[in-house]
Amino acid sequence: MASSILGIGQSALTAAQVGLNTTGHNIANAATPGYTRQVVVQGAAMAQDFGFGFLGQGAEISTVKRIYNEFLSTQVRSAQTTKSGVDVYYAQIRQIDNMLADPKSGLSPALQNFFSGIQEVASNPSLIPARQAAMSSAESLVARFQGMANRLSEISDGVNSQIVSSVNEINTYAVQIAQLNDAIGRAQRATGQPPNDLLDQRDQLILDLGKEIKATVVKQGDGDYNVFIGNGQPLVVGTKTFTVFNVSSATNPEKIEVAYKNSNGSTVVVGEAGLVGGKLGGLVEFRSKTLEPAQNALGRVAIGLGSTFNTQHQLGYDLNGVAGKAFFNVPAPYVGPSANNAGTAVLGATISNVNALTTSDYQVSYDGANFTVTRLSDNTSSVYASFPQTVDGVDISLASGAAAAGDIFLIRPTAKGASGLSLLVSDPAEFAAAAQTGAVGDNRNALLLGGLQTSKTLGNGTATYQSAFSQVVSQVGNKTRELELTSSASANLLSELTTSMQSASGVNLDEEATNLLRYQQAYQAAAKSMQIAGELFDMLLSIGR
Amino acid sequence: MRISTQSMFESGALRLGELQTSLVKTQQQIGTGRRILSPSDDPVAAARALDVNQSQSLNTQYGRNRQYATNTLTTVEGTLSSVTGLLQDVRDIVVSASNGSLTNTERAFQATALNSRLDELLGLANSRDAMGNYVFSGFQTGTPAFVKTATGATYQGDAGQQLLQVEATRQMAVNNSGLSVFQGGGQDVFKTLTDLVTLLQTPGAPAPATLTTLMGDVDLALDNVLTVRASVGSRLQELDSLNSFGEDRGLQYSQILSELQDLDYTQALTRLSQQQFTLEAAQRSFASISKLSLFNFI
Repeated sequence: MASSILGIGQSALTAAQVGLNTTGHNIANAATPGYTRQVVVQGAAMAQDFGFGFLGQGAEISTVKRIYNEFLSTQVRSAQTTKSGVDVYYAQIRQIDNMLADPKSGLSPALQNFFSGIQEVASNPSLIPARQAAMSSAESLVARFQGMANRLSEISDGVNSQIVSSVNEINTYAVQIAQLNDAIGRAQRATGQPPNDLLDQRDQLILDLGKEIKATVVKQGDGDYNVFIGNGQPLVVGTKTFTVFNVSSATNPEKIEVAYKNSNGSTVVVGEAGLVGGKLGGLVEFRSKTLEPAQNALGRVAIGLGSTFNTQHQLGYDLNGVAGKAFFNVPAPYVGPSANNAGTAVLGATISNVNALTTSDYQVSYDGANFTVTRLSDNTSSVYASFPQTVDGVDISLASGAAAAGDIFLIRPTAKGASGLSLLVSDPAEFAAAAQTGAVGDNRNALLLGGLQTSKTLGNGTATYQSAFSQVVSQVGNKTRELELTSSASANLLSELTTSMQSASGVNLDEEATNLLRYQQAYQAAAKSMQIAGELFDMLLSIGR
Repeated sequence: MRISTQSMFESGALRLGELQTSLVKTQQQIGTGRRILSPSDDPVAAARALDVNQSQSLNTQYGRNRQYATNTLTTVEGTLSSVTGLLQDVRDIVVSASNGSLTNTERAFQATALNSRLDELLGLANSRDAMGNYVFSGFQTGTPAFVKTATGATYQGDAGQQLLQVEATRQMAVNNSGLSVFQGGGQDVFKTLTDLVTLLQTPGAPAPATLTTLMGDVDLALDNVLTVRASVGSRLQELDSLNSFGEDRGLQYSQILSELQDLDYTQALTRLSQQQFTLEAAQRSFASISKLSLFNFI
């Protein structure tokens, strides 16, 4: 009997020790990201039949399990992916929002000063200081356009480098997840028990991966996680990883894209539709929905101003009686033939009508018979059997060579408008204020130039330079506001879901303190019962003495 | 509900962060006096403020243009007023010269007087504004309007009329060409005066008919100048009313801008103290709740 009491006491002691261990482990990891609390699953040992009844044989630990809710965990991951995407978009767009914010350093004051300068020349056509002031304000207008364009292109560079680091993160996570798949599989096969901490680590990695891009997890029968990103592009299958990498866009080398190698070894670029959610999705969406349109819109104001001003300026005569020259250098559209084009075609694009310009980019593709020109902002296409053609104020021509089926070209009519704008006139006397030659007091052309400020020369006669710029401010402002709200909503959703997941899986220190006390007492009680067993044994021995 | 210790700290930190963010924002608004710190705070108002700003700046510029117009027209008006006086003097001289009892010498005196009037008139016709521009030369503001000849004076300017944008929809002529002022209305005042001088210098009483004709020409010239003066006067008057209109408009724009952009301080300060109070309460409650732990007792 005594040995049985000792045995029971020993099992209780072990159970209490395991309990204390697990509690200690929980306390130690209370702040570990991704840790789920562990509990000891304890049961009564198989009782023994003594004829008069069954006598219990003490306690038995069946397993140590983690409190994990797969459903909540999936929800948290999905909310995290959304939030990361929205947050990164918000962080990026805020930079533009802040740039546009300053009422003193935005484009508007420079634009107004420029036209005030023109009006001053109209009032004092022969006065050199007035002309000099107009030239200076023209210089600062050009500098403002370039400054804003540079800032936007810095932001674009920033997006590129963040895409690169995000892709690196994704690959690192992929390798770690594959390693954990391997380690978990081996541990489970060896012991038949769940390796809780490894499982936590893997789930945390999946959550971290979800911060970079939307990832789909398919749980295999053997416990492996297969992970897919984008359009079902596999990232981890069992213990094997498929890396993604960065490539420059074939039609626009300034743009970094994400690609993978498919089974036959060729490089496949993951389109924007495939990069959803997470930092990567947010960055790509920001670039196509806000950054590029903002660059184009700013460029359109620059090109619109430059061309219409030039046209009017060239109709006038300067202080020396010479016909007005072009005042601004207006940059030509960017034409990017795809690096993969098989044909020799060189496309040319020139702006023939600034009034019809949009803020969109265009893609030209050739199917062997026809050219399809697609406006990328709304995916409207027109099909042409030959060039030249005029699309939204841009004359597209086939400059040389011949296109092969499958060739693609990117045309960005206004993207470089603001960065490439420059002054061609520097001598104040060359400002063509007069409408006739040899009339120093003639201000008629200056008046007409001044009138351009309020003429609706853009957007098919709907917008002045100022209102075209205001549109950018309003679009960026609205989107920023929307993202601010979405960001805080998704933060709340994530916080709620995390709280409910934590409510099940998280460590509560008060609870652990209670458990400590409980297992301590259990340990003490078990020890006591063993002590009593010992005393009983001593008693037996003393009888024989 | 079971709550994990981590959630407690996380949600505490999150809430404190949110409260701090809104507090800082209110503080920034108060610091700058701007309700809209960036376009996203109120995209519609931000874009509208830019447009109103342009209108405001244009309005200011029109005001400056009106100032230029007023300066030039005042110069013109001053000159024409002198011309009017001068022509009236000429008229008086001619009236006294028509007195048949005058001797040749007396007529020669008057011819001399008329000749100096002619030079004076030429000087007036070649007036320059504050910038040194000849006001009666049309667009040829760097060239004197008239140069004296044996038979009068030749106009060296052109018929150009300098217009200034004095309002969004109003371009105003700020000069009158010398041709229209001094050689308009079908007669040339310089020739008339030269003819008169020549006539009076010629010994012997002039034929009354010739004098009458020349007198009529002087009157015509005077009428012409007075007509031009009337139009200059009415333009100056128009500028006056445009000025007060422009000032009103400027005031309206400032008001609109202020409504769009400026901060309501009472509201903002109230909000600030409210946010301060909430943050303090959150901090205190978080501090005291986070102190609670069973470990303190075992």
